[in-house]
Amino acid sequence: MTTYDAGDVTLEKVRDFVWEIPKQGDMRVPARVFASEALLEEISDDKTLEQLRNATQLPGITKYAICMPDGHQGYGFPVGGVGAMDARNGCLSPGAVGYDINCGVRMMTTSLTYDDVRGREQELVDALFANVPSGLGGGGIFEGTIGDVEAILADGVEWALRNDWAVTEDLEHCEDEGKRPDADPSAISQKAKDRGKNQVGSLGSGNHFLEVQRVTDIYDDGVAAEYGLEPDRLVVLIHCGSRGLGHQTCNDYLRRIEKTHAGMLDRLPDKELAAAPAGSQLAEEYYGAMCAAINFAWVNRQLIMHRTRQVFEQVFDRDWRDMEMHLLYDVAHNIAKKEHHQVGVDADGEVVTDDEHAVEYETRELYVHRKGATRAFPAGHEEVPSAYRAVGQPVIIPGSMGAGSYVLSGGERSLHETFGSTAHGAGRLMSRTQAKNEYWGGDVRTDLREQNQVYVKAQSGATVAEEAPGVYKDVDEVVRVSDALGIGDRVARTFPVCNIKG
Amino acid sequence: MSFELREHTADVAVEATGGRLGELFAAVADGLTAAQCDDVPAGVGDRFELSVRSESRESLLFDYLDELVYERDVRGVLPADHDATVTAAADGTWRVDASAHGVPFDAVDAREVKAVTYSEMTVEETDDGWRAYVVFDV
Repeated sequence: MTTYDAGDVTLEKVRDFVWEIPKQGDMRVPARVFASEALLEEISDDKTLEQLRNATQLPGITKYAICMPDGHQGYGFPVGGVGAMDARNGCLSPGAVGYDINCGVRMMTTSLTYDDVRGREQELVDALFANVPSGLGGGGIFEGTIGDVEAILADGVEWALRNDWAVTEDLEHCEDEGKRPDADPSAISQKAKDRGKNQVGSLGSGNHFLEVQRVTDIYDDGVAAEYGLEPDRLVVLIHCGSRGLGHQTCNDYLRRIEKTHAGMLDRLPDKELAAAPAGSQLAEEYYGAMCAAINFAWVNRQLIMHRTRQVFEQVFDRDWRDMEMHLLYDVAHNIAKKEHHQVGVDADGEVVTDDEHAVEYETRELYVHRKGATRAFPAGHEEVPSAYRAVGQPVIIPGSMGAGSYVLSGGERSLHETFGSTAHGAGRLMSRTQAKNEYWGGDVRTDLREQNQVYVKAQSGATVAEEAPGVYKDVDEVVRVSDALGIGDRVARTFPVCNIKG
Repeated sequence: MSFELREHTADVAVEATGGRLGELFAAVADGLTAAQCDDVPAGVGDRFELSVRSESRESLLFDYLDELVYERDVRGVLPADHDATVTAAADGTWRVDASAHGVPFDAVDAREVKAVTYSEMTVEETDDGWRAYVVFDV
């Protein structure tokens, strides 16, 4: 058997791109890393594997804990992690969702081509930067009352539609049509609502951004046509989440779980894995709060997208409908969702890790936690919006400012291998502190403009240094692994034209 | 009292020391400020006060830092130049009485820390006083 020695951990090769940490010690299930050897080497470089092993100790975790090809060290649960917990006797973990509930990505297609913007990139990036709030204390596109925040939490993108920030087709191209039915605004604290009311329609900082891109490569003509992607066309990619409202909600529940379920927490190796037992009052409340924060994040991205349409109208002096600025799709990559999945079981009814050991299949209701991982349901799945059901759910994987981003479609193998999930980005390689030592924001910006024709504008030069292309893994390799595994299939690649960030 | 920003792949960690617990807390908070801004101007904005009570030393540090992030967002200022006093109450709870300089956002080139985390959090007594390690989500 081929093994990979990663210091304290030895991984066994299951097959190409699939590595397993066998169950041992306090692990409830094995852990699997879906990566090439080159990516595994990077994943082994920090505490990712230790955090992955810790994640296998969460109650009710089913089959195996998963690390995606872009996995890296996070807090508690690794980034690029997927854990499916039994919804009857398992748990729901705010730590395994992350602070930025429904951090995610949406892509808008247009009928403009690269030639339409060439020579005007600076004008466009300036206009976007002036009109889309970003950075610390940048305010929001919409600043309302607590009552407005509660309506957003309850109704999601329907609120945006009522207030002329959306059109009906936007809802049809968003997961759950932009509204989580289980949302409970009363489960969100006053503090969280206070933080949210001035941040509706704002990017924030860190790795969040808005990017105008051009389509450079098409890998699947048929699916690309269904998604509205054509070579050389401009698209807009928006990456952000639920802002202070989501961050506060995560902390509120971590603390409440610590006080209420100390016994379960004491048995876990990292306090940040804090989990509420499935069926408990707190699990129900957190689920309602998380779903409400999901709605808030969808509205946040919706307002930024709609404002972008207005900016394009100013810059190009045309109606946005004439420029065919349509939402392709919106994907969440920090989320837990109650989903039904088939799992293989052996003769004793125990869940098995590989199909060849299954004597039959059972459908289980699971809380699928995806922290830095994207849902990637294949063609035919009933939860894929009808617009894309024939070809599979669009998956959007952003790369760095100097690399391509990808559009994938949910792969046929995703349900068997990864509870219907794939990667979410390039994954960080270098710490922020090291990045600031190695790069200077001004140089990074100049290099991108002169060498790659990418126009970057940011509130903070330090953010540009921290997000320099060199701090990220090779997104091409991440996507190659996803495609080879059949969990997310390559459809198209894009390259940045303009980028704004906090 | 002092702090250092430590390496963390995606986020930022602060390691701090202090002779007394209050000094330790203020040093970690200064680290939180440094994680958001390289160069904080002196003498801009007003000081504000905050008090937090919690069930343990560790949770008090968590709640104190969480409160600072909250105050940042609702006041629209970057809290800097921290001062803190930590006391133990007879009922076993802990309390921090703190103040910070609220530097208006438009006076700084700052970026956002999303939240304090419990991951790898350490608050320990050493020969010289206290040491803490805290990871912040960026």
